[in-house]
Amino acid sequence: MSEPVALLQGTLDLLILKAVSWGPAHGYAVARWIEQATGDALRIEEGSLYPALHRLEERGHIEAEWGLSENNRRAKFYTLTSEGRRQLRAEAASWHRFARAVLAALEAPAHPAAAVS
Amino acid sequence: MAEPVWRRYLRFVRPDLARDVDEELAFHLQMREAEYLARGMVPAEASRLAHERFGRVADARRACLAVDRRRFAAERRLQVVDALGQDLRYGLRTLRQHRVFSAAVVVTLALGIGATTAIFSAVDAALLRPLPFADPGRLVILRGVRVPFAPNGVSAEPSESPDLRTVSAMPDVFSRTAAYAPGGLNMSGDGEALRVNVGLVTTGFFGTLGVVPAMGRGFTDEEGRIGGALVAVLSHGLWQRRYGGVPVLGKAIVLNGHSYEIVGVMPRGFVFPRESDLWIPLTVPATFSTYDAFRSWMPSETVARLAPGVTREAATSRLRELWQRVPAQYRGSWGDAPAHPLSPLQGQLVGDRQKPLWILLVTTGLLLLIACVNVTNLLLARASVRRREIAMRAVLGASRGRLVRQLLVESLLLACGGSAAGLVVAYASLGTVRALMPAGLVATAPPAVDLRVLGFAIGLALLTGLGFGLWPALGAARTNPNETLKSGGGGATTGGAGRVRRALVVAELAVALTLLAGSGLMLRSFKALLDTDPGFRTEHVGTLELTFARAVDDRGEVRRATIEAVLARLRAMPGIEAAGAINDLPLRGGGGLAITVDAEGISSDAQKSMFARYLQASAGYFQALGIPLIRGRLMAESDTKDAPHVVVVSATMAKRLWPGEDPVGRRLLDAASGRGGSRVQADSNAYRTVIGVVADVRESDLESEPDPQMYFPVHEQPPQNVAVVARGTLAPAALLAQLRDAVRAVSPAQPVYNVRTMDEVMFASLTPRRTNTVLITAFGGLALLLSVVGVYGVVAYSVTRRTRELGIRAALGATAADLVRLVAREGAAVALAGVALGLGGAWAFSRALASLLFGVRPTDTATFIAAPLLLFLLVIAATLVPARRAALLNPVDVIRQD
Repeated sequence: MSEPVALLQGTLDLLILKAVSWGPAHGYAVARWIEQATGDALRIEEGSLYPALHRLEERGHIEAEWGLSENNRRAKFYTLTSEGRRQLRAEAASWHRFARAVLAALEAPAHPAAAVS
Repeated sequence: MAEPVWRRYLRFVRPDLARDVDEELAFHLQMREAEYLARGMVPAEASRLAHERFGRVADARRACLAVDRRRFAAERRLQVVDALGQDLRYGLRTLRQHRVFSAAVVVTLALGIGATTAIFSAVDAALLRPLPFADPGRLVILRGVRVPFAPNGVSAEPSESPDLRTVSAMPDVFSRTAAYAPGGLNMSGDGEALRVNVGLVTTGFFGTLGVVPAMGRGFTDEEGRIGGALVAVLSHGLWQRRYGGVPVLGKAIVLNGHSYEIVGVMPRGFVFPRESDLWIPLTVPATFSTYDAFRSWMPSETVARLAPGVTREAATSRLRELWQRVPAQYRGSWGDAPAHPLSPLQGQLVGDRQKPLWILLVTTGLLLLIACVNVTNLLLARASVRRREIAMRAVLGASRGRLVRQLLVESLLLACGGSAAGLVVAYASLGTVRALMPAGLVATAPPAVDLRVLGFAIGLALLTGLGFGLWPALGAARTNPNETLKSGGGGATTGGAGRVRRALVVAELAVALTLLAGSGLMLRSFKALLDTDPGFRTEHVGTLELTFARAVDDRGEVRRATIEAVLARLRAMPGIEAAGAINDLPLRGGGGLAITVDAEGISSDAQKSMFARYLQASAGYFQALGIPLIRGRLMAESDTKDAPHVVVVSATMAKRLWPGEDPVGRRLLDAASGRGGSRVQADSNAYRTVIGVVADVRESDLESEPDPQMYFPVHEQPPQNVAVVARGTLAPAALLAQLRDAVRAVSPAQPVYNVRTMDEVMFASLTPRRTNTVLITAFGGLALLLSVVGVYGVVAYSVTRRTRELGIRAALGATAADLVRLVAREGAAVALAGVALGLGGAWAFSRALASLLFGVRPTDTATFIAAPLLLFLLVIAATLVPARRAALLNPVDVIRQD
């Protein structure tokens, strides 16, 4: 297992939105999904996951409701709102553009001056 | 983890944010632990790893809570605003649907709130709002402290009592002192001659009050000395009226023939004392030249600003020490000044008007209470009609709190409507309210519908809205929706609501009787006052006043000749029966002069040094005013300056000096005319013979017992100010025109003022009492009307509610008379209870009114019989209307209805 990568600013929100886009999920489930989906390559501090969830709820991107978990315990479930879905789409698109641009730069074949000639 | 029981209940009030966060985080840790355990770790290891992976729980908890609290507060705000908007829209719609009901409520409230607000505007202006001067709480009036007077213009007589100079030399007690006196002068020069109100003020006046001229300057010390430059400061009002607001500094203004330079203009609104048009310096000591502004004496007041740190009590005791040094024989002439030498300026200006104002405010408060009770009753009646609607809303999920709030919003909307209409009422009655104000204050602090009064009205709206709305709202929300809907929503009001409504009506009848009795007492007082013999007859009498300018070398010849010629001209006119002149017209308001007199051969202390009104009358004066002669003869044309000195005395004076004897031929120690000071120089060798006795005249006002009065011949020392009086058979307007003509023909440049009939003089002197009486009576009448309407409403409602019962009774053989009796009994019971309670209230109210009454005892029998009787009869009459309806019921229809 390689050394975990620190999370880029704003990435956590995007990952959370994606995590709950499959359906209602509690905080632990969100943490687990991120773990699995990234192959545990991204090390998120789980403590910071919850303030992020609450902030997203405040912004209206997700909604929370108390319900029963798979092992029959009271847990707080988060659901993506329609506004959250729009936000997810927009952020995912801009993330893709960013990633592509950075990748393109990293994999550029030659010195820019040479490319001109 | 066991949850404390109380926390569970807390959730009904608001979500328990901290607990939710704790639970959420704990769940996460437990899940992670469970995962590690499943992987085969020992529990301690699993727990440690789970925590390690999580990071600091406390940090996460704090961050989550901060977000949640913020979100919760925002949501709460949003909810409230949203719900309120909904309630308002719904409320407005409901009120629009019930227009008649809404209008009845708004009108009822408008009367109550309008009356209360109007009176409050006067109370506020006179009693609550500080005077528009700098730090007005530190300003005091020094009673009995006057400006020293120098008749010859050089040195002032040494005064035996403290005067302005004494207190000015006490900077440790009073930081500033000034004297002022309101007077009048004839203004000529640019434009027509007119009479202006002059504030005669010592040079420190503006500084003492802390008011700075808006333009130019105040007076310099030089200008306050005898022989100083003649200068004047204009009021903003006169500057606008006379000069149209163009620059005037340095211009000349002619007052009583002397030219004054305008050196300043005061800011808008400053008119103190009284309604001053301009101010000129009052010299210290005062002389005859500053004296011109007055009729026959100078009623100056001394105002002072307390030095920093000096309390009123401390200053009072210092002044008392001063008075204690005054020889006893002079102290008596200063009234109660030695005992109470100092009073706050505002209190002094308000004087005896304070009590009527508070009484009126209480009266309107009671009226408002009745209005609220009526509205409560209307709402209670309507609440039972709306039970179905409310039950429906409850079934559809509205919480009880929500329903109460909805109904309260409706009440508040009604109250706001009433308050807005009430403000219009208050604004419209400002003219009347002005008459309630103390004369010395009305110009300086005019009552107005300003922000304070607006705030008061809004406060009343909130208070009344909650007051009359809360009970019906709680009651309506308490009903059981299921039952209401099942029963079809009609009838079945609980007995409790009916009892409350009856209790409310009893209370409002009691309050109404209280006010009614007060009205009765005030009306009887006014009647007693109108029946009072003023000592003269006002019908067919016209009068005008004039003030002679003082010429330097005038020894009274011009004045004597003018008065003589005017009277001769008047007497020669057709339709004039009698004409005369007097220095102080009865009931004209403003001060007169009383001086000490000593009668020949009388040494008893009680009679010696008696104070008597000093009056100067011409021949014909008594005939013109219809003052009856009791003994001897009246003033005649032959009583001139050079004839033997004579005097006519009033009945009271004769009785005090010579009880049981014939006063005619008795002699008074002759005094110089009393002008010029408190003390009169007696010439011990001269005597003045009593030639006649006339009836007492009510001089200052109709209510006060007349002082001893004595009349000197006007020609001996013609006064500066004269009232000409003429009796004639002409129409009032023609009579007044003849009076003007007579003066104009003799002395064209002489301005005249206060041209009016004696009836008008009398009317004006009665204005304060008339206003009080009219207002209290009007409030009493309104209270009566509202309470009778209230009784009608309750009985009519109860008849409607009992329709079925009454129908069954009728079917079982009750006659129409039986039914009327049944219903009327309810009204009578309410009326009797109200009257019984109200008599107690009326008794208490009459005590409070006692000092306002005239010629009637507070326990006036006629009032205390008539008022309850009137109330009772009206209530019975109001009951009979619905009772008749009950009697006319057709039992078959009624029973078939269901």
